[in-house]
Amino acid sequence: MAVNYDPNLIGRVFETTDPVEVKAERIRSFCEALGESSPQYAGGEVAPPAYAVTFRNGRHFFQHVPRFGRAGFDAGKDVEFVRPIRAGDKITLSSHVKEIYEKTGRTGTMVFVVVRSTLKNQNGEEVAHIDHRFMNRT
Amino acid sequence: MKNFADVQIGDTLGPVHQFISKDQCRNYARQCGLDAPRFTDDEGARKEGLPGMILPGNMSLGILSKLVTDWIGADGGARLVRLSTTYRVPVQPDRTLTLQGFITHATEAERTAEIDVWIENEDAERLVTGTATVQFDK
Repeated sequence: MAVNYDPNLIGRVFETTDPVEVKAERIRSFCEALGESSPQYAGGEVAPPAYAVTFRNGRHFFQHVPRFGRAGFDAGKDVEFVRPIRAGDKITLSSHVKEIYEKTGRTGTMVFVVVRSTLKNQNGEEVAHIDHRFMNRT
Repeated sequence: MKNFADVQIGDTLGPVHQFISKDQCRNYARQCGLDAPRFTDDEGARKEGLPGMILPGNMSLGILSKLVTDWIGADGGARLVRLSTTYRVPVQPDRTLTLQGFITHATEAERTAEIDVWIENEDAERLVTGTATVQFDK
């Protein structure tokens, strides 16, 4: 059975978040939580690459994303790290639905929604692209 | 400092054995604004059909990112430019995880190396798998 959704949904950016200022203290806390002690990150001037995935979609983004079946789970991410995130940067995030597809495996049918987010800094430079795969069991 | 000439297909990263406590998992979740019970509370996680608390997918991504950036080293000479992860099996805290990597490709024209990375549990089951791309300055 093909998954049903409005094809006009694909590629539309519904919301760009307000800039979030990256504080050195926040980078240090993130490093501590992750067990990151490398001197290049633990001081808080430059964030470790994985810090890029901590930025959240806008509050209203998921109102536009269709739900399929039961509660969704995080199936994985593809992250392109374009340039480092530094303390003092002001990061915005804009997201769109990149694709929706269905897979049938041993455990049943699953619908995957891929949300692509682009992070930019205060200079309009791209910082990272994140493709986030959400999986729903139908 | 790492150079592309030092990279050999078949070289390995790790194994690194890392114990992640429930407190560390909760701390990471709270730092990142992830308030779902599955990340903070065994009972709440069980109500969602899980065996107990699990690590946020982003935390697994962060641990694998750290495996690669530790391999690159603080002296630089290379940069993690891409990391893709697939969350195959929920990762539970209060266990010792094993992190490993294996260089599968090296592209001289782009001075990049592709590395399969993964997280195993104590039964050598691969919970999270991924691919990292590292680009070298020279």
